[in-house]
Amino acid sequence: MSFLLQPEIVRYQCTCGSLKPISRIYFCRHCLKIRCGYCVCHEVSSIRCINQTIFLFGSYLALKLMCGDFVQADSHYCGNCLENLPSAEARLKKNRCAACLDCPSCLNTVSTRSTNVAAQNPDDPSKTVTRKAYYLACGFCRWTSRDAGLPDQTVATGGWPERENVHAARLSSLLEHYKILALRERQEKERKKFIPRRSYLHFSDKFGLTAVMARKRAGLPPLGGVGLKDDAGTIPELNPSEAVEEVDSLPADIYTEPVSLSQVTTLAQRLAQPEFQTELVSDLFPAHKHLMIKRSQRCRSCEHNVSKPEFNPGSIKFKIQLAAYYHVPEIRIVTCEPLQVDKQGELIIKLCNPTQHQTTVHFLPLSSADDDLEETEKETENKIKMEEKDAQKTSQGRDDVSILLPSLSRQMYISEDPRPVNVKLTGEVILPSLPVVLPPRDDAAEYDDSGDTYHFQDDPKVVVWRKANKAAVKMVVIPLHSAVEAGEVLVGFVMKYTYVNTMATLEQKEPQKVDLKVKVYINVGKTVGSCN
Amino acid sequence: MPLYEGIGLTEKQAVVIDIGAAYTKFGFAGESGPRCIVRTEVKCPETKQVKKVLNYSSKEDLYDLLVEFIHTLYFRHLLVSPKDRRVVVVESLLCPTLFRETLAKVFFRHFEVSSILFVPSHLVSLCTLGVSTALILDVGYVEAVLIPVFEGVPVLHAWQAQPRAAQAVESSLKALLLNENSEKEDFPDSTIEDIKVRTCFVTSFNRATQLEAVQPPPDVVYREGGTDTFCIPGKVREAVHEVLFEQDNDQTSISTMILDAIIKCPIDMRKALAENILVIGGTAMVPGFKARLRDELKHLVQQPKYASRLALKTFKFHKPPAKENYVAWLGGAIFGGTDVISTRSLTKEAYVKHNKVPDWADLSYNCWEEKMSL
Amino acid sequence: MELQDIYYNKAEYVETASGNKVSRQTVLCGSQNIVLSGKVIVQSDAIIRGDLANVRAGRYCIISKHAVIRPPFKKFSKGVAFFPLHMGDHVFVGEHSVVSAAVVGSYVYIGRNCVIGRRCVLKDCCVIEDNTVLPPETVVPSFTRYGGSPGVCNGEVPECMQELMLEYTRNYYQHFLPAK
Repeated sequence: MSFLLQPEIVRYQCTCGSLKPISRIYFCRHCLKIRCGYCVCHEVSSIRCINQTIFLFGSYLALKLMCGDFVQADSHYCGNCLENLPSAEARLKKNRCAACLDCPSCLNTVSTRSTNVAAQNPDDPSKTVTRKAYYLACGFCRWTSRDAGLPDQTVATGGWPERENVHAARLSSLLEHYKILALRERQEKERKKFIPRRSYLHFSDKFGLTAVMARKRAGLPPLGGVGLKDDAGTIPELNPSEAVEEVDSLPADIYTEPVSLSQVTTLAQRLAQPEFQTELVSDLFPAHKHLMIKRSQRCRSCEHNVSKPEFNPGSIKFKIQLAAYYHVPEIRIVTCEPLQVDKQGELIIKLCNPTQHQTTVHFLPLSSADDDLEETEKETENKIKMEEKDAQKTSQGRDDVSILLPSLSRQMYISEDPRPVNVKLTGEVILPSLPVVLPPRDDAAEYDDSGDTYHFQDDPKVVVWRKANKAAVKMVVIPLHSAVEAGEVLVGFVMKYTYVNTMATLEQKEPQKVDLKVKVYINVGKTVGSCN
Repeated sequence: MPLYEGIGLTEKQAVVIDIGAAYTKFGFAGESGPRCIVRTEVKCPETKQVKKVLNYSSKEDLYDLLVEFIHTLYFRHLLVSPKDRRVVVVESLLCPTLFRETLAKVFFRHFEVSSILFVPSHLVSLCTLGVSTALILDVGYVEAVLIPVFEGVPVLHAWQAQPRAAQAVESSLKALLLNENSEKEDFPDSTIEDIKVRTCFVTSFNRATQLEAVQPPPDVVYREGGTDTFCIPGKVREAVHEVLFEQDNDQTSISTMILDAIIKCPIDMRKALAENILVIGGTAMVPGFKARLRDELKHLVQQPKYASRLALKTFKFHKPPAKENYVAWLGGAIFGGTDVISTRSLTKEAYVKHNKVPDWADLSYNCWEEKMSL
Repeated sequence: MELQDIYYNKAEYVETASGNKVSRQTVLCGSQNIVLSGKVIVQSDAIIRGDLANVRAGRYCIISKHAVIRPPFKKFSKGVAFFPLHMGDHVFVGEHSVVSAAVVGSYVYIGRNCVIGRRCVLKDCCVIEDNTVLPPETVVPSFTRYGGSPGVCNGEVPECMQELMLEYTRNYYQHFLPAK
């Protein structure tokens, strides 16, 4: 179960410097580099950004350029009813499902229950008819909508009352007010741009003591910053908040009434609905279920997707799936002899070729720290150069454009520094000197009992056994003294493997064979016996 | 911008983040409340331990924690791509430079946001009131910070900060409970927080002066993990928040912070500030907090220490249109919902050019010339 | 880490023509209603309640020791009705777990000591962590990871989950060998 719940034993070094198990890394087929969740760009797709480009550019070219990668259907869905929502609707509903509700008490999904209630027949008041009534009940904590004092509904879905923020009107008028204020400030600033700069003398008129005195004498209020008292003009009237001397005091019975904890909400319950933060359990109100998303992931350097799911929430298929698990040979530990400091121990690992092409795996020692440093420095330099170039490009009279529309500056190259690998090896490893050839993966082999058709002349010192596209390889581990303190023996090496790139590019139509390298770190386990 | 609103040409809605020591508020600009209030902590992918983001050991550590944390905020709670979206960061004026710089780096370099607007939490809190002068006291988790704002300008030299906030209350509660329940060795922090929120309150000024003599409120039996129960004495429930108001050796407390700040302000401002007090922060939501604060102020101002220097009679409090714990966020959301976001933000281009975040404490920015352009 | 061989007592297990390995120490009620599609392992002391309703398990399912597979019921005004329980391919059910779901998709991993409540729906490629309690009628979407009590989504599953489960269950079957 190394892939899900157990600690990560075999870790691959991503191009960005993070160490991840193979199930968590991607392999970008376009730049032939390993990427991980840290260094790819995560996206929630939205169709809106294209509209912007189309409108503002009005140019067909821009449309073509941006659409290719950007048109994506919406990927918001409800985790309970598995219903897809367009992003505009999701935004309107504040990322909440219209149909499903959460229990306010234990934050689980509530289900609708039906009961029969006797009601008066509208035609004949003397008779009663039974009709269905629906209420909400939580299957986990037994909360029901009746606890909240909500009346039963006559329809099975929807119809539950919504709570409104009591301050909504006040807040929207505040927002409106400040919007106009900000707009004026901006207009004023733009107007000022065209006035030739005067000397600093005019400031003394405006901000100097004389001005303040003059205003005072004239009975005018002092100049304000974010204040409201600026020459009102078109600014809509807004009543500033009135401070009062009276504040909410403690309820008188707090010193005498015993507290029943089951009646007071917990912090988690309160914060689940930030705008209300109900304090009493009896006032809890069901909340609409929060939506989930499907994410697509994009390589940052070549802008190609490395993972792109199908939109249907129920589907587990991918439109693009470049997980390293399908492209990079997988390494697993089979067995390892008990490890003793400074003693050789045999380690057998299993290699598995997931691709449709034969691959050859070489094992190389890790390059020294200096080489790494040089490499990263080089990369950083390149990046800085790129950034500078971009910065120059964008600064050429396009400053205000980029302020207007940030998506225009999308092409700007800004990146993270590569992260140094922060591990300390606590063991040495003697690697097999010979390469190992792995045949391609054959899905039909599982149903074929005729046995392996491949015949490799393997050195038994290197290859212990092989089966289909897998081979077990022997190597030797020598734990260092530092392994005792670290508790575990960590070894590392470089795996060089041939990869057949089937991506057709403009220049190359034929599959290309390339040699790729990846650093692998293996946590072999604890040492046995003390060495005092 | 409202011109385009009809045809769906508006910019992507900006996000507003207020990272607190205990809880982070996160949501969209222009909305009436945050989408989520979550603990400022992440599960470390390597050790599987939950770690507070602000307990970072180094710059690199903080960077990783923030990446992890903000990633979940965007993709679990807001469900939008961070890329090319504007961000409003509500921060304290006393925010450490290291944290600001790292936060900006995370947003620009990792999440590729288009711009960041840093807004001081005390100042923008006023946007929720529509006034431009107030004395703002923010009682959060680690400390209580007070900054008066007069006509929209923070009176920085009158700032006050005291470590009298939720953390102090919680450690005092823990000590008191351990004292009462001798069979217990320790209480987890979550239990302590739960007890504080659900059972404790700030007692009235009159009772506080004679805590030993009065009849304590009823005890509460607290159930822990199904069968285990222990007792929370009424006395503890009542007394635990006293750490905020008791004067220490320097004769300071939450209430003296307000008076000391007023004294530091010029005489013309004093009355206006005393009549415009705004208390924000999660700890201010404790029942009885404001009533106690008002009574303390009334009492203190008659004491010889202050009576000779302040001639204030009344203290007035503002009632923000929100719960206290997200007032600062709301201010940021209102402020960021306006055009200011496009005129005053730090853009990606500017950030790449200088590789630095403008800061009021940095003289290279805080000069007249720069002020005009920022 | 490669799986170690798991040896079982040859006398205890029955191997069917389709490759199912079922322990004799299990309680399979109403066995005519239980369909095991092949290469399924049912380990000792597991209980499958075929007497309540049909139970169908796909290929390469692993039902661990002491697990209980029990079709869900629903209460109606006139009584109780049981529904069939369908389990996809390549599903792992951990020890001491009780599964009362309506549907368990393919490539699903259910940890130890879990309770999957009545009429839950577990979609393909999801993970239920150890000691999780899923309340009745919970839906677990694909590529999510649920844990805690009540079970809530607390993470994601790698995109190659399908491949991982395939590999894992096949490997498990290959390493589940009779003792010599």
